[in-house]
Amino acid sequence: MSDTVSPPSLTLSELPKAPEGPWRSSVRQLRRNKGAIVGLVVLVAIAAISIASPLYVSLVTHLNPFNTNLNGSFVLNGQTIQVMQPNTQGLGLGVNPIGPTWDFQHYFLGADNLGRDVFARLLYGGRVSLLIGFTSAILCSLLATIMGMVAGYYGGFIDWIMSRFFDVIWAFPIYLLAISLSVILLTSGLNLGFIHIQAGSLLLPILIIAGVYVPYVGRPIRGLVFSLREREFIQASIGSGASDWHILRREILPNVMPSVIVFFPLMVAFNILTESALSFLSIGVQPPSASWGTVLNDGLDLLYTRPWVALAPGILIVITCGALNVLGDGFRDAFDPKAKLRGSV
Amino acid sequence: MKLLTSTLLRGAVAVGLMSSLALVNVASSSAAGSNGVMAYQPAHAGGTIKLLASTGGGTLDPQVNYTLQYWQLYQASYDGLVSFQKVSGVGSFTVVPDLATALPVVTNGGKTYTFTLRKGIKFSNGQTVTVNDVYATFVRLFKVLSPNSGSWYNGIIGGDACVAKPATCTLTEGVVVNAATNQVTFNLTTPDAEFLDQLAVPFGSILPASTPTHDMGNVPIPTTGAYYFASYNPNSMLVMKRNPYFKVWSPAAQPQGYPTSIEMVFGGTPSSEVTSVENGQGDWVFDAIPADRLQELSQKYAAQVQVHTLTANWYAVMNTNLAPFNNLKVRQAMNYAVDKKELVNIFGGSNLATPTCTILPPNFPGHVDFCPYNSTASNTYTGTNLAKAKALVAASGTKGMAVAVVCQTDTVNKQVGEYLQGVLTSLGYKATLKALSPSIEFTYIQNTNNKVQISLTQWYQDYPAASDFINVLLGCQNFHKGSTNSINIAGLCVPSLTTKMSAAEKEQLVNPVKANAMWGALDKEIMTNYAPWVPLFNPKQIDFISKRIKNYQFSLEFYMYVDQLQVH
Amino acid sequence: MLRFVTKRLISAVLVLFSISVLVFLIFFATPGVNPAARIAGRSASPATLKAVEATFGLNRPIPIRYGLMMYHLFIKQDLSSYVNIGDKVIPQITQAAPVTLSLVFGAAVLWMVFGVWAGVIAAKNRGRFIDPFIMFVGIAAVSIPAYWLGEVVQLITQTSLHSSVFHWVPSTGFTPLSQNPLQWAVHLLFPWLTLAVLYAGIYARVLRSEMVNAMNEDYIRTARAKGLSERRILYRHALRCSLIPIVSLFGLDIGALIGGSALLIEVVFGLPGVGMLTYNSLTNLDLPVIMGTVMYGAFFVVLASAVVDILYAVIDPRVRVVS
Repeated sequence: MSDTVSPPSLTLSELPKAPEGPWRSSVRQLRRNKGAIVGLVVLVAIAAISIASPLYVSLVTHLNPFNTNLNGSFVLNGQTIQVMQPNTQGLGLGVNPIGPTWDFQHYFLGADNLGRDVFARLLYGGRVSLLIGFTSAILCSLLATIMGMVAGYYGGFIDWIMSRFFDVIWAFPIYLLAISLSVILLTSGLNLGFIHIQAGSLLLPILIIAGVYVPYVGRPIRGLVFSLREREFIQASIGSGASDWHILRREILPNVMPSVIVFFPLMVAFNILTESALSFLSIGVQPPSASWGTVLNDGLDLLYTRPWVALAPGILIVITCGALNVLGDGFRDAFDPKAKLRGSV
Repeated sequence: MKLLTSTLLRGAVAVGLMSSLALVNVASSSAAGSNGVMAYQPAHAGGTIKLLASTGGGTLDPQVNYTLQYWQLYQASYDGLVSFQKVSGVGSFTVVPDLATALPVVTNGGKTYTFTLRKGIKFSNGQTVTVNDVYATFVRLFKVLSPNSGSWYNGIIGGDACVAKPATCTLTEGVVVNAATNQVTFNLTTPDAEFLDQLAVPFGSILPASTPTHDMGNVPIPTTGAYYFASYNPNSMLVMKRNPYFKVWSPAAQPQGYPTSIEMVFGGTPSSEVTSVENGQGDWVFDAIPADRLQELSQKYAAQVQVHTLTANWYAVMNTNLAPFNNLKVRQAMNYAVDKKELVNIFGGSNLATPTCTILPPNFPGHVDFCPYNSTASNTYTGTNLAKAKALVAASGTKGMAVAVVCQTDTVNKQVGEYLQGVLTSLGYKATLKALSPSIEFTYIQNTNNKVQISLTQWYQDYPAASDFINVLLGCQNFHKGSTNSINIAGLCVPSLTTKMSAAEKEQLVNPVKANAMWGALDKEIMTNYAPWVPLFNPKQIDFISKRIKNYQFSLEFYMYVDQLQVH
Repeated sequence: MLRFVTKRLISAVLVLFSISVLVFLIFFATPGVNPAARIAGRSASPATLKAVEATFGLNRPIPIRYGLMMYHLFIKQDLSSYVNIGDKVIPQITQAAPVTLSLVFGAAVLWMVFGVWAGVIAAKNRGRFIDPFIMFVGIAAVSIPAYWLGEVVQLITQTSLHSSVFHWVPSTGFTPLSQNPLQWAVHLLFPWLTLAVLYAGIYARVLRSEMVNAMNEDYIRTARAKGLSERRILYRHALRCSLIPIVSLFGLDIGALIGGSALLIEVVFGLPGVGMLTYNSLTNLDLPVIMGTVMYGAFFVVLASAVVDILYAVIDPRVRVVS
């Protein structure tokens, strides 16, 4: 699933009252799933490399990938090479950044239009892309779970309000909403009473991405809670005078969690794709921060001369999202085999 | 200055002197006679020219549209009483009589201009052009809220009242017409050295008196020139055809064109436009050439590329009323720290841009070479002086402050913005970048409510006059707090400078040479003592035309003459 | 039933109304997007600016401006752009819609064919090599950012290989079907394939899991017990039941895509469809066009989900009660 599609809808199966130790058995099942393990390993590897990016820069390249280097040069195999190479043939128009040297010490994947090391930027970009993917997935799941549970449990007016909210966001063509919000918030920043978020802040894409997907998780959770509420064990708790807080936390939440967990990896993948799409339109992550999407965006201006700048971040996005999807399939098989995920993210 | 269109760079009329670089192919066609006026070659007439642009240029109304994209087309279609001469080279700066028989007689101490209208000229709808059309044109200018009605044409007597109440506008004292003698007399409130230039741009195009007094949008208005607009849809195509009523009256003002029709097709991406022209599916690319296509153009398609120097400026404006840039030391430090040679690399190399230290571009009236913030004592730019910059910042005590750079989202602007943000970081500031849509950035940075500290912008002049840079961009009268129209973005408001600017404006009427020297001195004084800008570089114009096109001619005022292109 | 349909339609209209208010507020509550300065031109005097605001009604209270915009959009249908003065919004959308329709329906044919085919093959060969292979390809397909795939396709067809293998690929753009059917198809071929890759991946995965689930259902066991051939069971029973969720998915996707969700593909391939129109209006902050295209897009999303809901209610009467 991707950037051009309406987001995944999720049909959750209603779980029977969990038997003893469902978590342990699920985890055991997950550990037996080879595909999921491979996905997890790939993911952890990418995350580890990204997190270690400052080490790469300080130990190997010694070149800050966030500083422009338009007049710089370096020595490779005894030759001094300009990072930005003016075109000397013909009319001599244009300046080309250096292409891939395939040498980890110098511009492995070449430079971008500002003479910065593309490979190092990709590593740093991975941190931002993964950060946005995970934090907005956590935020989105949290919001959606709370809203879905409250709406499904209390019903009535609260449910009506929440459901209409879900309906409106749902019906808004998803990319239009994300793009509209980005365009506007990048101009003005976000002012919510005492909270002020600067226009260039990473929090903006995180909030926007988390916000637009809330209904896609919240709606099915609401439906699940709605039907759980009619079940005997919940009715029994209500009858025994347990507080709403207690029922929500001890009875309903454990039954909702597997669904949230199953959806989580797919949500992360979806968020990474959305972030890259917004950055591709240059309304996502703002400089000086870099993400895979911003590197890809930089690469589009070099497509004819230095295609690797656009190819490499795309490949990383595909691998990461593929790993998340495989992991998501594993989670589904382990936690909630009957959940009907719409394809995947 | 013209509104920048969605693409960078173009969209603004620029004046350029031919670069002396050998690579520049000044279309030295045999068509250019010894006096510069182009002799018509009937054998080459005919065919259709297909121009490619990514988006339309907005309204087609010549009294409202303010984009180079259409000003370039208006040259072949609309006429004012006077116009810029249609020649290649320096002569294209000269104002010549067009619908008027001769340049006006100026009396009353420079406040009265009298023209005689040519007889027998017809609009493309067959009606004859009369003095009543001229009167109606200038009233309409105010009624349609022409962009500069309140900043240029309000000098006509009654103009200010028209600006205040456009609906009831009359100019009975300001524009006096006499049908018997075919004369038109303009009465101004004060002498204005630039009045003729202002009549020569498309806002002054004479339109039929019957034209509705609202922005006509995409409905074409009849023309007087060699072509008329046959159809226009801003999302797909604009078509110009030969005006059947057109007869040449002055080749210098409105020459006969070559193509039977001129089409401008909208919708491609700049890169796909380049591909189309390479393959001969289009004849010219309006948009800025993408950086990654320059190499193949300069190698494989060198014969189809034309490069011209523009008198335009890319510059970073610092808000002289906001910390940290309210401190002169910080503004000077920025001037020392920005490496203009690196910026030239971003723009496409030294053959596409030249570093600059001055407000007035080179080859522009009043320009004097000097460079107060430099690595050496040279008058031309040699490099940065980072040590000095850091010392100035330390002395200012502003180190560590948060600074946001505002720029546009398109590729080159954003890259320059990122560069500036990097410079600020290296000077010890907490710098961030705020990239805004090109369609709102220019108004956003003008509004003091947005508290913009430093921003990146460009200025391409309207006509060759020093005041169009210095007075317009740094004059106190153009600083309006809280307004989106406050073109003095630096907010520089110094009484002694204001006095000198008005003295130079007055001198312009009497002694232009002396006046230009005064503007040059002002340029130097402002940069040395106030440093409100970091002037970055002067860009050049690239035109990429198809293989079949001949007779490329370039106007310094309005760029390539589309109607002079030959396909046969 | 009638009551259900009425209720569903009323809620659809409510949702559309809320969206229009939301869009209006998002764009008018923001400082710096006042279009008057842009309409007036670069060095307009403050007086000219005021006059422009008055002409376009930009100085009126927000609710009145909202009302006027809706009146011009839906009743007089003469709402026009702030950027291309006099360019009416509705004709712009009706001109762009055929491009989007061409893109979406062409791609839909491809993805349905490939998606269903791959899903069935995988389900049929469960446990053998081909199943995980197809599922792996499916995962790859759904993990590729479609706009990036589009750029890669452009890179391959427009640059290095353009002079040899792909010399027949035209530069980006669109040719109407009525003008030249061959050129229409050639221009759209790669956009179709790019868009279809993703959906084929989704549909193959959904269909496979539906069929695998179905094969464990009671009615299949009954069929087996009756001695029907495995082939017959697979196609006549499992596939038929599994296609129901696919069809509803298809309805929702088509609705969203016609509504402009193919925005990135249109931008990448330079197709002047609704998505491109929306994107351009957003980058220009051309509010009337944004309003028009968002309402158009939301209309199809809401319509598609209402139709799917109502069809479900027709098939399964229980839905009417639950909703």
